[in-house]
Amino acid sequence: MSDTGSSAAVDERIKQTSKLREAFIRPELGAIVGVIAVFLFFIIFAGDSGMFAPQGVLNWSTVSAQFVIIAVGACMLMIAGEFDLSVGSMIGFSGMSIAIMSVTLGWPVWLAILLTFALCMAIGALTGTIVVRTGLPSFIVSLAFLFILRGFTIFLPQTIERRTIIGGISSAAEGDWLAPLFGGKIGEGFFRWLAEMDIIATYSRGARAGEPMVNGIPMLIVWALVLVIVAHIVLTRTKFGNWVFASGGDAQAARYVGVPVNRVKIQMFMLTAFCATLFATCQVMEFGSAGADRGLLKEFEAIIAVVIGGALLTGGFGSVIGAALGAIIFGVVQQGLFFAGVESSLFRVFLGVILLFAVILNTYIRRIITGER
Amino acid sequence: MKAPFKTLAASALAATTMLGAAPAVADDLRYVLVSHADDADAWWNTIQNGLALAGEQMGVSTEYRNPPTGDLADMARIIEQVTASAPDGLITTLADFDVLSGPIMDAVDSGIDVIIINSGTPEQAREVGALMYVGQPEYDAGFAAGQRAAGDGITTFLCVNHYIAQPASSERCQGFADGLGVELGNQMIDSGTDPSEVQNRVMAYLNANPETEAVLALGPTSADPTIRALDQMGLAGDIYFGTFDLGGDIVPAIADGIIQWGIDQQPFLQAYLPVIVLANRHRFGVLPGNNINSGPGFVTADDLDLVADLAGEFR
Amino acid sequence: MSEAVHAPIVEMKDIEKHFGPVIALNGVSFDVRPGECHCLLGDNGAGKSTFIKTMSGGHKPTKGKILFEGREMSFDSPRDAMTAGIATVYQDLAMIPLMSVTRNFWMGREPVKKVGPFRFMDFAKANEVTMTEMRKMGINLRSPDQAVGTLSGGERQTVAIARAVYFGAKVLILDEPTSALGVRQTANVLSTIDKVRKSGIAVVFITHNVRHALAVGDRFTVLNRGKTLGTAQRGQITPEELQDLMAGGQEMVALESSLGGTV
Repeated sequence: MSDTGSSAAVDERIKQTSKLREAFIRPELGAIVGVIAVFLFFIIFAGDSGMFAPQGVLNWSTVSAQFVIIAVGACMLMIAGEFDLSVGSMIGFSGMSIAIMSVTLGWPVWLAILLTFALCMAIGALTGTIVVRTGLPSFIVSLAFLFILRGFTIFLPQTIERRTIIGGISSAAEGDWLAPLFGGKIGEGFFRWLAEMDIIATYSRGARAGEPMVNGIPMLIVWALVLVIVAHIVLTRTKFGNWVFASGGDAQAARYVGVPVNRVKIQMFMLTAFCATLFATCQVMEFGSAGADRGLLKEFEAIIAVVIGGALLTGGFGSVIGAALGAIIFGVVQQGLFFAGVESSLFRVFLGVILLFAVILNTYIRRIITGER
Repeated sequence: MKAPFKTLAASALAATTMLGAAPAVADDLRYVLVSHADDADAWWNTIQNGLALAGEQMGVSTEYRNPPTGDLADMARIIEQVTASAPDGLITTLADFDVLSGPIMDAVDSGIDVIIINSGTPEQAREVGALMYVGQPEYDAGFAAGQRAAGDGITTFLCVNHYIAQPASSERCQGFADGLGVELGNQMIDSGTDPSEVQNRVMAYLNANPETEAVLALGPTSADPTIRALDQMGLAGDIYFGTFDLGGDIVPAIADGIIQWGIDQQPFLQAYLPVIVLANRHRFGVLPGNNINSGPGFVTADDLDLVADLAGEFR
Repeated sequence: MSEAVHAPIVEMKDIEKHFGPVIALNGVSFDVRPGECHCLLGDNGAGKSTFIKTMSGGHKPTKGKILFEGREMSFDSPRDAMTAGIATVYQDLAMIPLMSVTRNFWMGREPVKKVGPFRFMDFAKANEVTMTEMRKMGINLRSPDQAVGTLSGGERQTVAIARAVYFGAKVLILDEPTSALGVRQTANVLSTIDKVRKSGIAVVFITHNVRHALAVGDRFTVLNRGKTLGTAQRGQITPEELQDLMAGGQEMVALESSLGGTV
């Protein structure tokens, strides 16, 4: 047998792959380039518009952090080979759940938050269970939940309160120990110091005259960072992460070797539900009200961010860091086009183009990896 | 004698320049209007036109911004962003006080002049520190319509609500019920925004509740399909039909006698007047002393001619 | 073949498997000993897949006994069979092309190391073992992070076999490992089979290619229409005879008698 000879020949062939191609098959690469390009673009075209003043920075980072939170969940789920189209409805539903429990029913806010997390993750588990038990595409199952949850989000407050927006959460949350963890800010002292040093701008009038316009980093951003770091480590450095890749790469192959694919998928559905609820909780605690229209179309924004971040729609390949960068691109562009003075409706054109570009790039990456021609 | 005359002529010349198409003014004023409407809401076209026209006439630059899906939390972010871009004036709706008051107050405190239009109440506008309120208070408009219908002998009605997610919508229905002096109960339906869905739901309701005497639609989105529903059921012209806003098929339907009246809150004014007010305040330091009510005005078959021409554009 | 003196590690006696009215296996007897490569030949539709699934715990036989290491065994699932030491490498390999060789190799059995309260996957160990095991099979990987998708078909087979061997397979069932490969890659896989056999593992090599079977097989069993048509030792049978057996026992008998008449 020409054993040694042929394996050496194979070796030579593998070594021919260039460093560039190798770099390309990192899922984050496209997103890293995108982030750099986007920032360069806006520094040139919107550098003096207030976009990079503290208030502007806070604005696009907050918007990006929102996208990051839901993108992390969507990314892990997509790598595990499934979709969740009910993310947006879940945002509306969970916000409403907190509002009804804390305002209408008068329960303590911390209890409302914890119960809502439990309830929503249970719904996520239900979605996942239906998907793995029936073998139906998650696209359809979660689409059903998109309508079911949105329906309840409108029906419940209307029946109970005859309104579709429930406010008064801010006053209910006063003195609560858990609420600041979602709606609060950190680093307030630091920003006050910056204002005293005249490094950042202060309010010019009103009751807050002299106070810094940016008075802290919202917990939303902190959550987004924590979520990205934890999810990235779990995905790339743990046994469970390997199972997530395996479940999405080829569920049957994973089952052969004993990976509990169903459990992994259900847990990923619970994670997206968790992320949606986290998004909603931060929003509700910041704005003090929950509305039936919250979170519309957010599922697509999450999926777009994930795809821009290099994950494959077919599962088994992707990166949390990439998804986070995708979310940042999304957020910075959405906010930045305004600063650059571009008609805001053109944002969608840009979004479509960037999405198409990302998908084509992903397909190319996939071909390289799987060796298809 | 000569000198004062010269000054007068010069200022007259300056005024003409400003009032004409004249972008030649030295100051570069920039106003941003933020609405709560999603992209599909055609009614706001009138607002955009009013805004653009006022900007042109006053020689200031104007921008229109809205949350693409109508998500108010997104709208709050847009207001924050507009604040960061430091315009001279912010014109915004106050669709949900809880969500929007914070960002609007931030804008006010960072030195931006704010005018509240369309949604919210004069009291809320004062609370957030806005210069004034330009609009039609929802409940009051509904109440006035209810009183008018009561005068025409109506006791039961159907309120077709196509944007139930906004509290303002329910207030219109509630006001109408209170104006009639009846309970709202389940006389308000969530019609959705899809035309055929709206039509089917209206038909279903009227079939189930044949004693219904009147229909109240909350805008073209619900009024247009309702007209078709009534046509199909043979009720067009028989049932008492009032609607908020003009636009879409509403004006022809008023002419045909299918719709008795349309409540015009004159959205054009809600975009046009704030720009005029802000520009004059910034240039000459003058400000009207009160809120401006842009509506309600009832448009009936008698005063249709002008409206018909400009419906959907400026009316 | 001195190893062949061992007692069979797996022995299947008169196995029948019915699916409703369809009789997929109708009296199959088969055994395999440690250190031998027992080839199971059969044309398409002869019942090879049903046979594999029965042996690896996927199906329960309708009739007959399976002895594993001398004791009668009844596997409830492929997982049971795997735990006992019967590993199957299916045609589709159970490899995930987008994942790295290491991740594939350890999938489902990831090594873990503890850092404080957290448990991480031990990549240092995983990578090292993967490289070593692959080297043993004659494949030098560029990097353990290389995606399986970049490997050739033969190399993928080898990864799957190396994985089964590393995780303690006593019996390795290979389902048509060479059917989709080119000549050179086939040679690689056959040499891998040879290495595995020499390490004392019982190999069941399922194929419909007589030449591939004869290259590495110690014994040959032909399956036709759900029945085994006897077993031959290496050297006792020619390629032509095997080919005929696969084509159908009846023709073979007819052919033999007609040949016997003339010679």
